[in-house]
Amino acid sequence: MSLAAPLRRSRFLLLGLVLFHLAAISHQVDGGSGVTLLQRGALVLLTPLQDGLGALLAGTAEVWRAYGFHRETYKQNRRLEERVRQLETELQARSHGSQESDRLRELLELRQALPFETVAAQVVSRDGVPWFRTLTLDKGEKDGVALNAPVLSPTGVVGRVFAVGPHAARVQVLLDRDSGASVLVERSRAAGIVSGQVSGPDSAGEDLVLKYVEERADVVAGDVVVTSGLDRIYPKGLVVGRVRSVGKGAGLFRDIRVEPSARFSRLEEVLVVRRPAESFDTPKSVQ
Amino acid sequence: MSRAFWTGFAIVGAVLVETALGRFIPTPGRYIDPFLLVVLYCALVGGETHGMLAGVAAGWVEDALFAGPVLGLSALSKLVLGYAVGSAAGRFLMTGAAARALAVLVAAIADALLVQWLASVFGIEARPLGPLGLLTRATISALVGGLLFALVDRRLQRLSP
Repeated sequence: MSLAAPLRRSRFLLLGLVLFHLAAISHQVDGGSGVTLLQRGALVLLTPLQDGLGALLAGTAEVWRAYGFHRETYKQNRRLEERVRQLETELQARSHGSQESDRLRELLELRQALPFETVAAQVVSRDGVPWFRTLTLDKGEKDGVALNAPVLSPTGVVGRVFAVGPHAARVQVLLDRDSGASVLVERSRAAGIVSGQVSGPDSAGEDLVLKYVEERADVVAGDVVVTSGLDRIYPKGLVVGRVRSVGKGAGLFRDIRVEPSARFSRLEEVLVVRRPAESFDTPKSVQ
Repeated sequence: MSRAFWTGFAIVGAVLVETALGRFIPTPGRYIDPFLLVVLYCALVGGETHGMLAGVAAGWVEDALFAGPVLGLSALSKLVLGYAVGSAAGRFLMTGAAARALAVLVAAIADALLVQWLASVFGIEARPLGPLGLLTRATISALVGGLLFALVDRRLQRLSP
């Protein structure tokens, strides 16, 4: 035991010294291509390690580049989404402007065709409560809007002003169950009164009811209904709607449903007649 | 400490001898290696570890001062020889002058062959030593070494209490 330890130690020392000298000699010897053997050996031994390390670094760099790319892509995506939103808003605004332009042009055409003075008004609100069918306009007495003034749209009669303020007016549309307008069936000249239906606020019925048309009157589906002017509110000859259905009513009168010409759900601009009703009579061209 | 000192002292002496041989007798300088003698004596007296370390020290000094451009060849050779001779001295009775001279002879040949082999392995330009030169070198080293070792032994015996 006491002899084995120094022997082992000396052998280890020998091995270490031999390796050290081999390394020292190799370090000084040219191994070809201008490099020493030690350098060459180191290259042989370390090159795979360096390759692995390089691959690892390259992989890390690639991952980092991919991360950067994804991050940039994400940012770009956000920018593009924002840009798309802006463009959609712009497109919507332009589309809205275009539609508004079309509506105003139609309104202008109607205004120019009418023989009486009118004022254009913007619909600022509608159907404030569910029990009445009303509109609020942005024009009032200061603009020449008077009580009971007829309100028209390019497609047909809308209703009448039932309340007026200095700069606003409220309109009772024909769909309201308490409204009424004296009308004629254009083809047969059968007279009657249109008004809104007596229905709940959730009713889907958007048709007018043509009342007081005699049982024998010549009315068929598709007939055009126009104002008669007899109510002293609406000018004569303005289109109210088209007969949708004709049925046998209770009693002496028929049950007639009229599809209104005015698109009440999409009204945005209307014309309000300024002159008294006594003086107007709608010409044939407007009808 | 004392052994290291005397080893260092012997190496310095080897340097002086080698220097003197190179200056005054240039050619015979190749036929005797005083550093090898120092290493072999250390190995014979001190064992393999001492011989190994003495071989390293003497070899590096020889390489640094007298060898070619590559350092370490003589050191490695003398390291191995120091270990081998030290190991042999531990196993065999090598106290007699003849045995020591024989050890020096074999070691000198081995040293020369080992250096040349290492030079060829590492691709180092080394002047080849022919069989005659090798034998001459080994013989001279053995004679000188045997004589020298005996003188030193005697001297040391006088010095020791």
